Amino acid sequence: MSVSEKLFRGVNAVKWLRRYKLEIILIAPLMIYILGFTFLPVVRTIMMSFQDRTTGEWTTGNYQYLFDRPEFLDALTNTLFITFVGVASVVVTALVIALSLKSVMKGKGLFRTLVMIPMGVPTLVASVTLLYVFATTGGYLNEVLYDLGISEVPIDWASGGILTLLMIVIADMWKVLPIVVLLMLAGLESIDEEVYEASRIDGASSWQAFWRITLPLLKPSITMAVILRSIDAFRIFELPLVLAGRTTPVLSTYAYTEYSTYNNPHTSGAAATLLLLLIVLFIILYMVFVERKGGDVR
Amino acid sequence: MKKWVPYLVLIVFSIIMLIPVYIMFKVSLSTPEDVLTAHPPYWIQNFTWDHWQKVFESGNIWAPMEKSLVVATLTMVVGVILAAPASYVISRMGRKWKYIFILGLLFTRMFPDVGIVLPISVNFLEWNLVDTSLGLILAHLIPNLPFLAWILVSTFETIPRDLEKAAYIDGASRLQSLTRVVLPLALPGIAVGALFVWLNSWNEFTYSLYLTVSERTLPLQTFYYINRGDFFQSAAYSVFLTIPVIIITFVLQRYLKAGQLSGAVKG
Repeated sequence: MSVSEKLFRGVNAVKWLRRYKLEIILIAPLMIYILGFTFLPVVRTIMMSFQDRTTGEWTTGNYQYLFDRPEFLDALTNTLFITFVGVASVVVTALVIALSLKSVMKGKGLFRTLVMIPMGVPTLVASVTLLYVFATTGGYLNEVLYDLGISEVPIDWASGGILTLLMIVIADMWKVLPIVVLLMLAGLESIDEEVYEASRIDGASSWQAFWRITLPLLKPSITMAVILRSIDAFRIFELPLVLAGRTTPVLSTYAYTEYSTYNNPHTSGAAATLLLLLIVLFIILYMVFVERKGGDVR
Repeated sequence: MKKWVPYLVLIVFSIIMLIPVYIMFKVSLSTPEDVLTAHPPYWIQNFTWDHWQKVFESGNIWAPMEKSLVVATLTMVVGVILAAPASYVISRMGRKWKYIFILGLLFTRMFPDVGIVLPISVNFLEWNLVDTSLGLILAHLIPNLPFLAWILVSTFETIPRDLEKAAYIDGASRLQSLTRVVLPLALPGIAVGALFVWLNSWNEFTYSLYLTVSERTLPLQTFYYINRGDFFQSAAYSVFLTIPVIIITFVLQRYLKAGQLSGAVKG
């Protein structure tokens, strides 16, 4: 680059700055805040995860420590189970509710309000009330099972294993169903009625219409729901901490324990870094496989 | 499909959605013999205000409630001051840049909270910001700013540029057209976004847990009673934590759009 070119660019930059002065002043505080309080901490967490606790030297020891701990491997598989089973069931259930809401004539507003109730309940409170539902002695689910004659002996839901994971999945589902229902409903309402009419004239059954019209046209909403829900399911924290803190760790609660109980920010950072890696990996894989495949079919 | 099937689905799910809320109120208003038994009754048999009274008489609720109120309100105010001007600028950008900025805001949602708050907690210990309201406000802004900016960008997008141009022609300066024309039109959208931020901060748990030792917020006080295994106090505190949320949510429900909500999807 010649000197005159450099000069020219410099003058342009000054002009640009002067022209957009107001815009820069308006946008800078937000950007600086997000850089300083979100991006920088994440970078520091990743750096800390590769540093030794005492000497501060670069090492992969924190990761070796994690993979030697059975609790961490538990947390990893628990997180994957909760995410995959939880997201699949919440999206399917939400779709069923949204389709029902769309097809009823009477009481639509009332049902919509009732289904939205969990949105008005803080996640922590949801965890508390579901603690009462799933309690071993005096839990309401066990009481219903007892009264229906299904199970004489009270089931210990929080003792770990698959039952506890299912409990967390159901509890999380209760809390997040409303938002996924709203997403699906918005998707359904954006589909043009004329498409259905045309298919009816061509002799399609309602079952065919669902598979050939509703699902393909709903795909953007489903993708959005799956990605947003998966991110939150991977990061799930309060629910497992309250419902099954001692028996069933997930990655977030494991990272918290490493920091609060063992006072070790470096191993906690390593767990958080692996969680971030998992989320990024999942989104990339979903985009590459599910999205592209869908495009080919269409 | 039969006509009654969707009604059945909706009735079943409506009941499922109601039951936990009912149980929360029930536990907080029942005597121990209704709750601490192998076979609890489904209805309240022995009604009592004792647990609610105990919350107020012990006085343990006032300090956490004050802290939660202060933090939520200031988070909301500072959040709007930081996010509203930036969102306006983003909403007036060309398509390419707007897309980049919005994607960048969404991108921050991928980061796990436990990864963001960890170094902040380490720093705040050094800076003596642990247990302070200021520290919590700074932390609560982290998840809320991108979310609020996202809502506000879509609000400003609905305000036509021609209105601003008309203001220039009438002799207004850029700042005047912003404060006299754009701001009043955006106010309803800003109010909705602000209330959401207030709610998120009122409910916030993860950041508060990392940054608090003894000066608890209301959710942390509830968590404290959960850990002590105190069914009745945790139920009563849950009720007081939930009441403002239910009221505001049902006011907001009229203004909810799915596009805005997808930013609010919190687990």
